[in-house]
Amino acid sequence: MGSEIIVVIVVATALIFDFTNGFHDTANVVATSISTRAMPPRVAVGYASVLNFVGAFISLEVAATVAKDVVSVNSNTIGLLAVFAGLIGAIAWNLITWYFGLPSSSSHALIGGMVGAVFVAEGHENVFFQEGILGKVMIPALVAPVLAFVVGGLAIVFLYRITGRLRPGSATGGFRFGQVISGGLLALAHGTNDAQKTMGVITLALVANGTIAENNFHVPDWVVVSSATAIALGTYVGGWRIIKTMGSRIHKMDSAQGFAAQGSGATVILAASHVGFPLSTTHTISGAVIGSGAAKRLSAVRWGVAGNIVVAWILTLPAAAIIGGITFLVTRAFGTGALGPVVVSTAIVIGAVVLFARRSREGVAPGVVPATGSPPS
Amino acid sequence: MIATIVDWDAILQVIWVSLLAGVGVTAAYGFALLGTTRALESGRAGNTGGAVAYGVVGVIGMAIVIGAIVFGILILTGD
Repeated sequence: MGSEIIVVIVVATALIFDFTNGFHDTANVVATSISTRAMPPRVAVGYASVLNFVGAFISLEVAATVAKDVVSVNSNTIGLLAVFAGLIGAIAWNLITWYFGLPSSSSHALIGGMVGAVFVAEGHENVFFQEGILGKVMIPALVAPVLAFVVGGLAIVFLYRITGRLRPGSATGGFRFGQVISGGLLALAHGTNDAQKTMGVITLALVANGTIAENNFHVPDWVVVSSATAIALGTYVGGWRIIKTMGSRIHKMDSAQGFAAQGSGATVILAASHVGFPLSTTHTISGAVIGSGAAKRLSAVRWGVAGNIVVAWILTLPAAAIIGGITFLVTRAFGTGALGPVVVSTAIVIGAVVLFARRSREGVAPGVVPATGSPPS
Repeated sequence: MIATIVDWDAILQVIWVSLLAGVGVTAAYGFALLGTTRALESGRAGNTGGAVAYGVVGVIGMAIVIGAIVFGILILTGD
């Protein structure tokens, strides 16, 4: 009975993480559409959330990678507690970076949290550092933003060559329409890659609980539907403070650049999803945004802001891992029953409420998202 | 060591697909936009031949964009 309660708490926590993932990553998906005025903020967010939901259904390769290739857990209560602690580590890091307005990576936070918690709970032999973390997470994490940078840069060069002599009004209108397509693809890509990570973690918990046999890996339908719903809701609620950072502080963007950045980012994420890489959508779209800006004019990119984002990326895996490991120790201190997860969940909810209250007092809302140019002071 | 633990085939697949689809589809949309805009301008100027020619460019460009998106989604859902 105790383990069943823990499973329920882990599934609920995973879905909350999925919600925060959508919430945190809204900026990646809609900032370019908003900053170029291709869509009003609320329309862009609603559109992205619908396509996030749809995207979650188109592939399960990434879920399989997360559930089988990064860590493994034993079929016992310790394994369940490790999955729970990993999720809390990821949620805590997401909240911290959201609070400070840093576009970190929800995906790497999740993987970092799981690695830290499983390392402390089950030992290093249950963490697949080489083929899993290095081969399927770290190397793709390095390749993806560079690739998106190159594709985004080449795409905008071609676009300017092809359409450079069109009247600005016609070109801008055309690219804004194009952004409806490219923004939709980016939302679809985000849904398929990121929702699958939650599916993978819930499946891992079901394996730890013995609900799913290790040699009969599959993602139940209810896991797919609930994960899709959670990320779509999170995207809808949105992360307005991060939108401000991504939409205008990296560089001032025209609609052609927005179209090129979204199309390039979506392509890289979808291609990576097809081969099962749990990619960071944040890294990828940021690379594409910076590439589309740098190809036009290097000085247009605010490299200091881009540098801050890179620092946040570097910190994400180890920071989430440390928080995940500590969370496991705290949870385990209450025994192997449901008390530990209940206490820790309550603590993280209180922490989240405090951070939201503090942030709300500072008055960040959809209406203050800048269209172009400098961010509001 | 890295050479043996990284699935380079998968990474190379991501790279070439991203370059082909990302740059190719974007460029195709550029031609669609160019063709459509010029076709309308030519039509307004009474240049029927130019309007048809640019219209064909626009239609082909848009067909490539839509075809690539549908093909990509079919490949993904075929997992």
